[in-house]
Amino acid sequence: MKKMIFVLVMMVTILSGCTKQTPVIPLIIYNEADPYMYEFAQYIIDKAPSEYTVVSYDSQNSQLIQNEFIEDAFKKNSKVVIINPVDRLGAYTIIEKAKSENIPIIFMNREPLKEDLNLWEHAYYVGAPAAHSAVLQSEIIMDLFGIPLNLNELDRNNDNIIQLIILKGEQGHQDAETRTDVVIEELENHGYALEILSIEICDWKTSLAYDIMNELIPRYQDQLELVISNNDAMAIGAIEAMVEHEMFVDIDENGFIDHETDTWIPVVGIDGIADAVDLIKSGYLFGTVLNDSESMAEAIIELATAIINGEDIHNIGYEIIDNKYIWVDYQKYILEEE
Amino acid sequence: MAKYTKGFSIGQSILISTFLIVITSLLVVTIGGFLNFNSTTSGIVESTSKEINKQIILNYENYIDSVINTANYIQRKTVEYGIEDRNDELKDIYIQAADLQQDIVSIVLVDIAGNEVINSSSKNLTDEDITQKRWYYDAISNAAIFHFSSPHTQDIYEDSIEEVITITKLIDFYALGIKHSGVLVIDLNTYNLVKLANTTNLGDQGHIIILNDDNSLIYASNSSCTNNNCESAIIAQDIIIGGQNVTINDLSMYANVNTLKNTRWRIATFINIELVENTRTSNIVFSGTIFVITLSITILVSTIISKRISSPVNKLKDHMQEIQKGNFYNKIALEGQKEIVVLASSFNSMIEEIRELMDTILVEQKEKRKTEFIALQTQINPHFLYNTLDSIVYLSENHMNEEVVEMVVALSKFFRISISRGKNIILLSEELEHARNYLLIQQIRYNKKFTFDFNIDENVKSCKVVKLILQPIIENAIYHGINTEYNEGSIQIRAYEKNKKLYLEVEDDGYGITPEKIQELKAGFKDQSKAKSVGVRNVYQRLQLYYGAESDFIIESELDVKTIIRLIIPIEKEV
Repeated sequence: MKKMIFVLVMMVTILSGCTKQTPVIPLIIYNEADPYMYEFAQYIIDKAPSEYTVVSYDSQNSQLIQNEFIEDAFKKNSKVVIINPVDRLGAYTIIEKAKSENIPIIFMNREPLKEDLNLWEHAYYVGAPAAHSAVLQSEIIMDLFGIPLNLNELDRNNDNIIQLIILKGEQGHQDAETRTDVVIEELENHGYALEILSIEICDWKTSLAYDIMNELIPRYQDQLELVISNNDAMAIGAIEAMVEHEMFVDIDENGFIDHETDTWIPVVGIDGIADAVDLIKSGYLFGTVLNDSESMAEAIIELATAIINGEDIHNIGYEIIDNKYIWVDYQKYILEEE
Repeated sequence: MAKYTKGFSIGQSILISTFLIVITSLLVVTIGGFLNFNSTTSGIVESTSKEINKQIILNYENYIDSVINTANYIQRKTVEYGIEDRNDELKDIYIQAADLQQDIVSIVLVDIAGNEVINSSSKNLTDEDITQKRWYYDAISNAAIFHFSSPHTQDIYEDSIEEVITITKLIDFYALGIKHSGVLVIDLNTYNLVKLANTTNLGDQGHIIILNDDNSLIYASNSSCTNNNCESAIIAQDIIIGGQNVTINDLSMYANVNTLKNTRWRIATFINIELVENTRTSNIVFSGTIFVITLSITILVSTIISKRISSPVNKLKDHMQEIQKGNFYNKIALEGQKEIVVLASSFNSMIEEIRELMDTILVEQKEKRKTEFIALQTQINPHFLYNTLDSIVYLSENHMNEEVVEMVVALSKFFRISISRGKNIILLSEELEHARNYLLIQQIRYNKKFTFDFNIDENVKSCKVVKLILQPIIENAIYHGINTEYNEGSIQIRAYEKNKKLYLEVEDDGYGITPEKIQELKAGFKDQSKAKSVGVRNVYQRLQLYYGAESDFIIESELDVKTIIRLIIPIEKEV
């Protein structure tokens, strides 16, 4: 009889008793098909200390899928949940739920409304100030085109007006709105005359930017002097389309677009993803604004670690503004002319 | 197992162990099955409900997307045409857009002061201050997003009674080449909202409710829910986001709350899962019934089996107890399992054997007792005979012929009775005669130093007694009871019936016996080594051998007055 009980106890122990695992911190990404976010997520996963594991979930650009991941994460009583929201308006509900479950949440990349963030004491946002990226982007453009009303040879028709196409991110994404508005505003404020040929919403996507540019190029091929993109992915799509329409020609076929001798149109992006950096090095993409995702990843991990260990979040290496925000600045990235 | 059944009968052991085994396996199977069924159905209910909820949300998302696309289109055209200074054509764009989509009631652009810029409708704007409207305030408070109002009576126009949802956004527009900010106001009727809710089958009383971010009710597909205090709305507010089982109007529902993209709305679906719950309940009832039936059958069968096994064993046990009491003459007849029958027949033959053995022993014992009895009987005579013959010699030498004759006659009678043709049992009259002859002989020997007297009830004379029981007692009375030196002794012999027993008494008036002496005498009866008086002990032993516990031997004595030895034996009369 005793033996039987022993065997039963052993079986139950074996069946139920897996070895104690380190806590899992869910990282819920809006869409891993977005190369920038994919890279960003990898930084976060890699930087996580050994005391916990960060596991990323791909919401496939669906708030519904994301909601399910979040519901699961809350049910599992995660000590903190890192969320890159699909829909920044949906963040309101997520924050309400997190508050009722008493689970701290860190938002990244897409900033929820301030009023929503203020609903829950332990809701944070780590990101880059969207406006700043556009300011830097405008600086790159200003350096490139020279003095207003006396533009250099990149003003192809010499009308002192920059004819440009803007590739906008997702409608409703505040970064898209802000980047677009601020870059135009900055250029105009500095006295540059602009002719916006078109503002196209390409949802941050390379493929969509490629398709849309393919439609636009026949109309604007002769006028176009500049492409401003809200992010690198769309800039890459635009370059692909323009290469097909021979707006980029590597005349000496050295695999590098020489801005002095080869045919090219300036394209400026934001984010600084690896593919974009490669294109800058080969001369196709003129410049980008480095969204310092590595530093942001570091800030997120430091914040998460402090929350998990119950330490004072103000002692981490990043300044926390209003008990809510950690801002990590952008950096300009262009090819240094030899 | 055996350890725990100590103290249980076979029947109980069988019953208990069968019961335990069956109840354990039944419990495991029923509970396991039920839990399995439960979790499976719960999983199915949850995933199905979530899928349905997702589908509904997607439908609404598509709808909201189409509205937002229209708004984006308007926004883009407003900027485009504004820059190109074609604002007069813009009104047509607005009108077209409003016409194209069935549920758009109106599209209006107002400037920051609330004055009409473009109006898709021919109706005039209200006189009221538009900047005081909630939707206007929302739009300018956050420029980045579209604002969806709760349903309300259209209030951008005079006299409109239409129920609308107002979507607003702060946009740029150009007037005479100058950029202004304005509020784009799109009023939607609830046609699509209602239509979409009705396209999905949510089961009986299943419904959809839509809540705004302040938990106010935007829409409810069930008529019972008219404000945000209705049961469903409260549940949805409570869940915030996610799914769980709830009960509404005593119906089991799966509630699922999700966000709606591009809005701050939440859509809660309530799907009737009563059918699943009913199935679950009937499953419980079914399992329970099976459980009870199986258990009853088990109890019944195991009771019968245990009875069948234990009842012959019990019979055997009772029979054995009977044998313990000494009853060897009943045979046991058992039916049932082979083993038991074999056991019973072996038992029977064993008992037979024992009985035969015991009978043999009994016979042998009887023989032995008989031999002993005879031996005891024969012990009496020799020295009396020597003494008597000595007396006769003495009498002859003194020429006391008369006494010689008397003595020889008495002796002859004495021996005749003593021998009594080998019989052990004689009539009391014969025994008394024998005693008298003895007394006569002794009287002569003792020179008439004592007298004797018989006092016999007539009716006991024909009683049968073991022979030669009085003579040794009388001998004892003569030797120890009569003071031959000083005075004549007297010996009384009495026989009577009392309490259906025969009483034989020999009384003398000699010295008497001290109580200590009586104790010694009685001890001597049982232990030969302590025996003082051979004759008396002989009588006692023969009475015990022949009559057993039914006889008694009593010694009463008063010192210097008298001594009575009383023999009590069962009355046995000649038939």
